[in-house]
Amino acid sequence: MSYKYIGKSYIRPDAINKVTGKAQYLDDIRLPGMLHAAILRPEYAHARIISIDTSEAEKMPGVVIVVTGKGCKLHYGDNIKDLVPMADEKVRYIGEPVAAVVADTTFNAQKALEKIKVVYEPLPVYIDARDSMSEDAVLIHEENGDYWHLPTLKPQPGTNVANLYHLKKGQGKDGFTEADVVVEGDFLYPFGSCSAIEPHGSIVWFKEDNTIEAWSSSICPFIIRQDLAHSYGLPESDVRVHIPDIGGCFGYKSDITVEQTVAYIASFVPGYPVKWVASRKEDFTSTLLGHGIRMIMKIGAKKNGKLVAMETKVIHSGGAYADTAVNVTIAATHNSTGPYEFDHCDLSGYTVYTNTPPVGAYRGYGHQEAQFATERLIEILARKLGMDSFALREMNYLCEGKVNSLGETMWKTNGDMKACAEKVQNLVFSKESLQEDENFYYGRGFAALMKSPKGAPFSTKGCYIKMNIDGSISINMGGAEVGQGLRTIVQQIAGEALQIPPERIRVYNDIDTQYSPYEWQTIGSMFTTQGGRAIIRAADKLIMVLKQTAAQVLKTDVDYLDYDGEYVFLKNDPSIRVAVPELSRGYITSDGITIGEVAQSVSDARLPRYSNPDHNGQGSLGVEYTFGAQAAEIRIEKKSGKIFVDHFTSTFDVGQVINPLQIRGSVMGGVLMAIGATLYEKVEFDQDGKITNPHFFKYHLPTYKEAPQQTIDFIETPGTVGPFGARGIGEHPVIGPAPAILNAIYDAIGVDFFEIPVTPEIIKQALANKQQKEYA
Amino acid sequence: MVEKISFTINGQLRVVEVDPEMMLIDVIREILNLTGTKRGCDNATCGTCTVVINGKATKSCNTPVRKVAGAEILTVEGLAKGKELHPIQKSISESGAIQCGFCTPGIVMELYGLLENKPDASELEISNSLNKHLCRCTGYEPIKDGALMAQKLIQDRNKTK
Repeated sequence: MSYKYIGKSYIRPDAINKVTGKAQYLDDIRLPGMLHAAILRPEYAHARIISIDTSEAEKMPGVVIVVTGKGCKLHYGDNIKDLVPMADEKVRYIGEPVAAVVADTTFNAQKALEKIKVVYEPLPVYIDARDSMSEDAVLIHEENGDYWHLPTLKPQPGTNVANLYHLKKGQGKDGFTEADVVVEGDFLYPFGSCSAIEPHGSIVWFKEDNTIEAWSSSICPFIIRQDLAHSYGLPESDVRVHIPDIGGCFGYKSDITVEQTVAYIASFVPGYPVKWVASRKEDFTSTLLGHGIRMIMKIGAKKNGKLVAMETKVIHSGGAYADTAVNVTIAATHNSTGPYEFDHCDLSGYTVYTNTPPVGAYRGYGHQEAQFATERLIEILARKLGMDSFALREMNYLCEGKVNSLGETMWKTNGDMKACAEKVQNLVFSKESLQEDENFYYGRGFAALMKSPKGAPFSTKGCYIKMNIDGSISINMGGAEVGQGLRTIVQQIAGEALQIPPERIRVYNDIDTQYSPYEWQTIGSMFTTQGGRAIIRAADKLIMVLKQTAAQVLKTDVDYLDYDGEYVFLKNDPSIRVAVPELSRGYITSDGITIGEVAQSVSDARLPRYSNPDHNGQGSLGVEYTFGAQAAEIRIEKKSGKIFVDHFTSTFDVGQVINPLQIRGSVMGGVLMAIGATLYEKVEFDQDGKITNPHFFKYHLPTYKEAPQQTIDFIETPGTVGPFGARGIGEHPVIGPAPAILNAIYDAIGVDFFEIPVTPEIIKQALANKQQKEYA
Repeated sequence: MVEKISFTINGQLRVVEVDPEMMLIDVIREILNLTGTKRGCDNATCGTCTVVINGKATKSCNTPVRKVAGAEILTVEGLAKGKELHPIQKSISESGAIQCGFCTPGIVMELYGLLENKPDASELEISNSLNKHLCRCTGYEPIKDGALMAQKLIQDRNKTK
């Protein structure tokens, strides 16, 4: 298909504001009378609060009020209402809010915080789900099972298991009787941090007129609105949430995170906006972590390589509150097959309470953790079968007519896994492999992948289009711009749909629940797909309004008219026409009488036929898929054990590229983020539950010099849901790097790793062990 | 404890009365309300607070304000002349180097400190400069592209001067 505006690299409309320092992020907002909060965190990761003495803190300069959670019975959450804004009788993780000071400046609030005295009675601390699942473990939530939760969830009362999800396909475990060969492994994708360069922050203002106004560095304004309205007994229309520019999200600014705590604090000083912005340390300890997922996986295959059965146990250390972790576990569980068909599946996902910060969304949402295991195990299976791993994969890829774990049939329009794999194979593996030299071992590794959005049945995105008097277009949507470039995408899709140049289309600048059309939340790599669909629907309606007015002007029927962005004209005679701007506020006739409607329209779009899981844990829970293949070319320095990723190659079937510059940027950033997880990043806890590396100089994000050269390519098999066939791509690039790099490590030194990050120390140890074995 | 400290910022002479140990970032953001300079970490690791002091790119989060008495400071707000962007701003906004934009001001100022002093800086010098900045969005390649484009624009501009 050839398009006018789709597939071209338009420059993002927010670039100038960002490069001149004028973009307004949360901490840049100044409001009249604004006060500042500082929040006290506990000394223990699991303890009863015996007493809190705030008297000294109250006397400190600038202090307005000191707040504790004593007697606070608010519980909130989107999936399980197990969250509290501030600890009442018990603390469950090291970053939990225990008390807060509101003062004239952040400096004064922080100074006063040091004067609060808290007495605790420590309880046993569980960092790893396997420990908190043990029979004699103390309960982190005695109330487990009593909290309100989505009807589809299954908490296990009397245990630390917040939810157990189980999926059975075919004969389940019994399917292994059909297998000739079985491989299994225990894999760990440890705790990580999304670590956007902008930390979390919120401002909440309880107003004298009994309304609440809030600002947050969040991608979920409508969830925040709903949640605050529920907690404070207000109609949602009396809660107004603004989202300013966001300095990166990558998952952990979704769901509700810090907003309820800031609201609770602000509720004690009605009339004053209260701002809180996380320090980098708090961004690690007191917002959401990612991953914490152990995969125990077993794969059974026929001798010829046909995969028959999979058994997966996902043990998820979900943190002290499970509201945000539970769906990550579920996504990890039913997506643990990767892009392969298994006739029989027995997949279980345990979301387990631990004394660690709550785990939430992290770009990839369970997929990279699960498919890290799948793609390593497939390599191991190929070795055991004595088969070429590409041939083994190709034989089993999900493609037209195959059925995934959820019971969804794949269609051609779901994308071409095989084409992605072939492209990467040709780019990377058709070359001679490099031979070990004096200083380095060399290796190459491959990973295939798939991702579905993990949406919700009601996950809609709204779009409002208004044509201005000069025929230019204003578009208002509820999607959060976190850096992914959605405003450019909206301009291009609307331009194509309306046949109006993107330069004449202006997209909203910020989200305000008072004006923005409803959007569930901007998650799951779904904005282009669902939002784009909403734009096309709204554009079609707008064109219909223009045609209806034009039909009156041209004295004909609506269906006898065509539209080309500039004119509405007769199908048989384009010279009989009316210019589009003349129809924008209705048409003003020569005698001044105006006919027709103002040219504006509203629409929305959700994932078609998305459903709840059935009794087998199956259902229409994926709907939309993007397949891809990735490969790493690495070098391991013998002396230091250091791994260098020299080149990284990715191909995804995205259906239709909308903006080549932006999509390349998304993939490059995602790949580097996952290289970080594979080689450097791990949130470390000591045995008391304290995070020992909550700073960038200890938790190492990949830097400029560590970024590999990247080759990025796309297959375009149009999908049925998204605009012009486009599919989601935001999260997918993070899925392949860990297994691809670990497969490359095996290729280089013949050692299998089952856990990341693989640090130089680990490599050195492995090389030493290997040498010892060889001597023995 | 409070002292009068004066300096020039974005061409304007400013006098502040503050604790001289107060960090420059707090003076810039909280007193002068120049919010283009960002804070991304607690320990001078991320680089997003970088400003140019007497021509040199410097982190403002670990520079006490007493050290800038009499200095000439430039922040990201001071680069464009009206609607005319500085070559670095122009290049960075067109090369795909901007996604969330939070690391952008620091990187722009870093490149200003380097390229305005040394328009012929080697690729190694450019990569040493960029290696001081964390970006979580882009994978860095478009930032490098922007830096090289900017270098060329600056060289061309200097030739025509």
